[in-house]
Amino acid sequence: MFIRSAVGALCAGLIASSAVAAERIEFMFPAPVQGKLSREMQKLVKEFNSSQDGVEVVGVFTGSYDDTKVKSQAAAEAGKPPAVVLMSANFATELAMNDLIVPIKELAGDTDLDGLMQEFWPAVRPNAYFNGDVYSIPFQNSTPILYYNKEHFAEAGITKAPETWAEWVDAAKKLTKPEGERWGIMMPSNYDYNGWLVQALTMANGGQFYNTVYPGEIFYDHASTQGALKFWRDFAHQHKAMPTGVTNSKQVSTSFFSGKASMIVLSTGALTFVRENAKFDYDVAFMPRNIRNSVPIGGASLVSFKGTTDAQKKGAWEFISWLTSAEKIGHWSRFTGYFAPRQTAYDLPEMKKFTAEHPDALRAVEQLAYAGPWIATYNTVAVRKAVEDEMQALLSDPELTFREAAARAQKNADAVLAPYAEQTALTLK
Amino acid sequence: MNKPTRETPRSFRSARPYLLLLPAFLCLAAFTYWPMLQVLLASLSDKKRVGDSGTFVGAENYFRIFQDAHFLGALANNALYAAGTVIPSVLFGFLFALALRETTNLSSILRSVLFFPTLVPLVGAAAVFIFVFMPDIGLLDYYLAKLGVSATNWLGNPDLALVSLMALTTWKNAGYYMLFFLAGLQGVPQDAEEAAKIEGANWLQRLYFVIIPMLGPTFAFVMVIALISAVSQIDHVIVMTDGGPNNSTSLLLYYIYQQAHEFYDLGKATAATVVTLIALLTLSFLSMRTVERKVHYET
Repeated sequence: MFIRSAVGALCAGLIASSAVAAERIEFMFPAPVQGKLSREMQKLVKEFNSSQDGVEVVGVFTGSYDDTKVKSQAAAEAGKPPAVVLMSANFATELAMNDLIVPIKELAGDTDLDGLMQEFWPAVRPNAYFNGDVYSIPFQNSTPILYYNKEHFAEAGITKAPETWAEWVDAAKKLTKPEGERWGIMMPSNYDYNGWLVQALTMANGGQFYNTVYPGEIFYDHASTQGALKFWRDFAHQHKAMPTGVTNSKQVSTSFFSGKASMIVLSTGALTFVRENAKFDYDVAFMPRNIRNSVPIGGASLVSFKGTTDAQKKGAWEFISWLTSAEKIGHWSRFTGYFAPRQTAYDLPEMKKFTAEHPDALRAVEQLAYAGPWIATYNTVAVRKAVEDEMQALLSDPELTFREAAARAQKNADAVLAPYAEQTALTLK
Repeated sequence: MNKPTRETPRSFRSARPYLLLLPAFLCLAAFTYWPMLQVLLASLSDKKRVGDSGTFVGAENYFRIFQDAHFLGALANNALYAAGTVIPSVLFGFLFALALRETTNLSSILRSVLFFPTLVPLVGAAAVFIFVFMPDIGLLDYYLAKLGVSATNWLGNPDLALVSLMALTTWKNAGYYMLFFLAGLQGVPQDAEEAAKIEGANWLQRLYFVIIPMLGPTFAFVMVIALISAVSQIDHVIVMTDGGPNNSTSLLLYYIYQQAHEFYDLGKATAATVVTLIALLTLSFLSMRTVERKVHYET
C-alpha cells in the first residue's frame, strides 16, 4: 500500500515537473580581474532564473580567460556544448574559424543583429564579427589605462598626468626612489596581459599590430612593434624605473596599494577594485601616446557553442538578451569598472548619477574614441605567445636587443600562421 | 574412491584464473590501455582537436616535436626539475625519518608538522606561495630583508623561477617520503644493527653499511614515485607561472596541455605524451633495477 502510493506520488511528481520543466542551459563565465565578480555574476544568474519560468541557467565559474576557452572547448568535445559562454572578446574569431561556435543569428531568429550592433560602441564591433556574421555579443569591455598616485605626483612636483611617452619616461624617473624603495611605473607582463599591453604600446606608436581584416598576418618585426618592445624594456633596464623580470597583475596592484609603485597600467576592469583598495588620492589617465592616442579593447563577449538543441538556443538567446540589456550591462559596469559596451547604458539615470559621482569611470569611456580591435588571428594564443615570450625575455635580459627579439617573435608567429596562410592567401600555385 | 561428486570440466579449470582476472582486466582495458592506444594512434595523425578525423602522417609529429625549441626546452626543464626535486625531497625525507625514528612525544609532533604539507593540495599550496614569493612584500622577502637581502623577483626571473618551483615541490613532498622511510626503518632488524655496534662500527658506518642497504627497496620505490610526481604534477606551473617567464618553467605536461588545448595541435601533444611515457617507463625500470640490485637480503 505504502509502496504503491509512493510510486504514485513519484509519478505524479515527475509528470508535474516535466510539464513545467524549464530548459536547462549552461553558462560558463570567467573572472579575469580581481574583485568579487564571480559572486555578483551568480547573483545575476539567480535573478534571471527567478524572473521567468522557461529557462534555467546554470552558472559555472571557469577562472581566467584562457582557462574558460580550454574548459568550454573540453565540454564541447565531451558532447556537452555550453549554450552560453562569456569568452575573451578576441577568441570568437578562432572559435568561429574552427567551427566551434554558431553565428548569433542561429539563436536570435528574426532579430536584426546588424541594427543591434549599432547600439554598441564602434570600437567593440570588429571583434564581434567574423566573415560578415555576428558571432558574439559584447558584455564587459575594457581598455588599458594609467592609474597614478596623486600624492606621489605632488611630492615629486609633477602637476599633470603624462600625455606623451617622453613625459611618461620623465615622470617615471622622477617618481622612482633608489634601491627598489619605490618604482615609478609598473605594468603586468604575465601571459595574456603582456600581449595586450604590447599591442597597446604598438598602437600608441602608430602601429596596427595585426591585420584586422585577414587573420593570417601579424606585424611583430615592424618599426611600431619594435619601438613598443624597446620602450617597455627601457623602463626596466635603461631608466631603472620598473623592476626587471616578469611582474604579474597581482604584484602590480599590490605594489600600487602599498605605495611601492607610483604609476601602474591595468585594465579599466580593475577600476572598482582599485577604488576600494587605494587608501590614498589616485586618478586615472589615458595611456600616453608616441605617435597617436590609441588602445586595443579587451574584455569578453557572449558566444554560444555548436551542437545545442533548438530549445537551448532559444533559451540562450533569451538569457543573452537579458544580460546585455542596457540596464543589466550598466549595472555590471558600475559593479566592476568595465565600461558598458552598449552605448545606450550611459543614457540611463542610474548611470548618469554614477558617472557624476565617479568621473574616473568616464575616462575609460572617453578613451573609447581612440580604441581599436584586439588581436584576433588564426590560433590567437600561440601567435600572441610568440611576442609575449620575447617581451618577457627583454624584461629579464639586459643584453637582448629589441631587434633580435622582434625578429624571433615574427619568425615564431609566422610558423604558427603558416598552415592558415597556405590554405588561404597562398593557394595559387 | 574419494572422487568429487561433481567434477569441474578441465577446460573451465584452466580458464578460471583468467575469468577471475577478467573484471580487473576490463577496467584496465577501458580506462588505461584503450586510451593509451588512442594516444598512440593520434600521435600518428594530423588531428587538430579531439574529435577531428585526421589523416595518417606516420612519424611526422615526432620529427616536429624534436625540431620544436619549446618541446626541447620543456624536456630540459623537466630533467632539471626532476633532478632538483627528486634528490632533495628524497634526501630530506630520509633524514627526517632518521632523526624522528624513535617515537617520543616530541618526535610525533614533529612528524605531524613535517607531514602537514602533504595534506595541502598542490594547487592550494601554489596559490599561497604566490604571496610567499612576491618580491619585496612577500613573506620570504620580508624576512630576507631583515638579513639585508634586497627584493628578489622569485617567479619573474627566468633563472630563479624553476628553482622556486623546485623549492615548493620539495617542501610539499619531503614529509610524504619521510613516511615511507619511517616504515622502512621499522623493518631494519635490531640484531643487525646491534651486531654492527658490537663490532665497533660508529654511527656513520652503521648508517652506511647497515641501514642504507637494508632500505634499498624503500629508496627504489620512493625515487620512482618522486620521479612520476616530477612529471605528472604541474598544478603550480599553471597557478604560478603559466610556464613563464619566457618558457623557463614550461614542463613536459604543461607543453602537452598547451599544444592540446590552446594551440590546436593534438598531433604534437600526443607525440609528446608518448615520448614522455617512454622516458618515464625507462627511468622507472632503470632505477628499480639499479637500486634494487644493491639490496642485501639476508634470511
